[in-house]
Amino acid sequence: MSTLDLSRLESSPDLLISQGDDRDSLVISMGPQHPSTHGVLRVMLKLDGETVISSESEIGFLHTGIEKQAENLFWQQTVTVVDRADYLAPLSNSLCYVLAAEKLLGIDGQIPVRAQVLRVIFTELTRIASHLVQLGTHAMDLGAQSIFMYAFEMREQILRIMEFVTGARMHQSWFRIGGLALDVPVGFIDLLDKFIESFPERLSDMRAILEKNVIIMDRLIGVGRISAEDAIAWGLTGPNLRGSGVAYDVRKALPYSGYENYDFDICVHDGGDCYSRFVVRLNEMYQAWRIIKQGRDRFPGGPVVIDDPKIVPPAKTVIQHSMEALIHHFKLVSSGFNVPEGRIYQTVESPRGELGMYVVSAGGNKPWRVRWRPPSFYNLQALGALAPGNLIADLVAIIGSLDPVFGEVDR
Amino acid sequence: MPEQPPVRAERTRTAALLDTLRSALGEDLLEAVSAADMDEAAIGPSALLRAVEILRSAGFNMLADIGVVDHLPLSPRFEVAYHLQIIDAAAKPVVPARFRLRVFPDDADPVVPSLVSIWPNANWAEREAFDLFGIKFEGHINLKRILMPDDWVGYPLRKDYPLRGTDRGFVAGGRQGSVPPVDLQQ
Repeated sequence: MSTLDLSRLESSPDLLISQGDDRDSLVISMGPQHPSTHGVLRVMLKLDGETVISSESEIGFLHTGIEKQAENLFWQQTVTVVDRADYLAPLSNSLCYVLAAEKLLGIDGQIPVRAQVLRVIFTELTRIASHLVQLGTHAMDLGAQSIFMYAFEMREQILRIMEFVTGARMHQSWFRIGGLALDVPVGFIDLLDKFIESFPERLSDMRAILEKNVIIMDRLIGVGRISAEDAIAWGLTGPNLRGSGVAYDVRKALPYSGYENYDFDICVHDGGDCYSRFVVRLNEMYQAWRIIKQGRDRFPGGPVVIDDPKIVPPAKTVIQHSMEALIHHFKLVSSGFNVPEGRIYQTVESPRGELGMYVVSAGGNKPWRVRWRPPSFYNLQALGALAPGNLIADLVAIIGSLDPVFGEVDR
Repeated sequence: MPEQPPVRAERTRTAALLDTLRSALGEDLLEAVSAADMDEAAIGPSALLRAVEILRSAGFNMLADIGVVDHLPLSPRFEVAYHLQIIDAAAKPVVPARFRLRVFPDDADPVVPSLVSIWPNANWAEREAFDLFGIKFEGHINLKRILMPDDWVGYPLRKDYPLRGTDRGFVAGGRQGSVPPVDLQQ
């Protein structure tokens, strides 16, 4: 636990080099503009030479009050702000929220199979895209500039599919309570096939460059080690927990959207260090590809939303002929729908770990409370325990391997 | 989607817990129910540490989250919801058992004992609850704002805090002074 007294430091810069016992220690502020802090993280470091004695993270620079906004929008509208928390994996956020709302409404058993398969395909595409950003920036932090370009080129292919289907590259807001906003357009399957075909080769290229790379191994093995017990106590989840050898994956443990029907492995690595987390993410991209492939193979027909005009607006073609449909449409647009009173804690496996939402409904047309369990928030908190004893250069590797996304940490 | 069989098996693990909590906490236990998603117990803040001790001895080793709900105008107003889970490191795959503790502190002066000495990750979660709701955590090592600026006044996620148009603007060097009210008609 950090023991820095920031208020004292801020009031008097002269005290940066503290007196007394730690005459030789130096306090510096890393970030919030430092490129290796992946956004807007400020870490106050107490140093002995280049070795970190203690660190204190300062977050909140990206706080946008998403939880407050969610309370002031209709249930359906909230999907758009939910998307903006974890901006590297927006669809995982909306999936979690949408599942919670569907359970509160009691329609979770009626979601069409086609919608469920598409949800799985797209959240797994998101997972690959997110891990690619992590690997690219992580490698860049370690000095391997070119990997970043490879990773972003691969990610671009995924974003193009997203744009083609949903019209948006980043914040798709494509999932709806009750299914999906739109069916996939003609030509989607061709694009997806092209991706499925080309991805394994590119992934193995990347693996060949990185996995047994002497510099990468030198920089990552043994750095930022955390035992399984500590990882659990710190609330780590996702690749960070699996990198410590704990086979916890929400998709297997508490399946949603039909994940129990897919054949995939939980990627575990026993080292507990940065390298383990790195390998887990590399392997997870392959598993995500397997899931996408299975989804594509079964790709069922049928509707993509439930047929309930009280929740999902009727199709435009119907509205033009039916007065009742028009009223439903008007009602949904002007005042949304009410959700029965209740509370639920829904979790999904986001690329960063267990994303939980504690959604409380008071019976109205707006959520009473949408509380995030942001995996990055808890993952990043462990930095205070991982940093001491490491060099500053290694701290950069540790921050990268924890994979925090600040939209989610600060919300 | 119907709940998965392994989940049901996990629920039987926590069913006996509700009885244990009932007998151990007595009057401090306000309610113990088996909710749709997990078993839960509603308690007063004075019983939190005892309840956590019972849950820890039952194997709950991860504090998944601390979330606060403001039930204004109902009373008790604040609900501090602790989501706990059992992560068995040796199991493959891990199927967590979950439990929700709902703590209802006092409306005017919400104080809850801190869990930092039990779970280190309670540190930031409690700071966030303090920052956005003004819940005080007794025994917290470093209870200060985490998301909002250090000199912010008020607790933004409370229901009586406006969504927009607060009377405080940015004042260089601190927010001690206030600027005239902003009228933001829609």
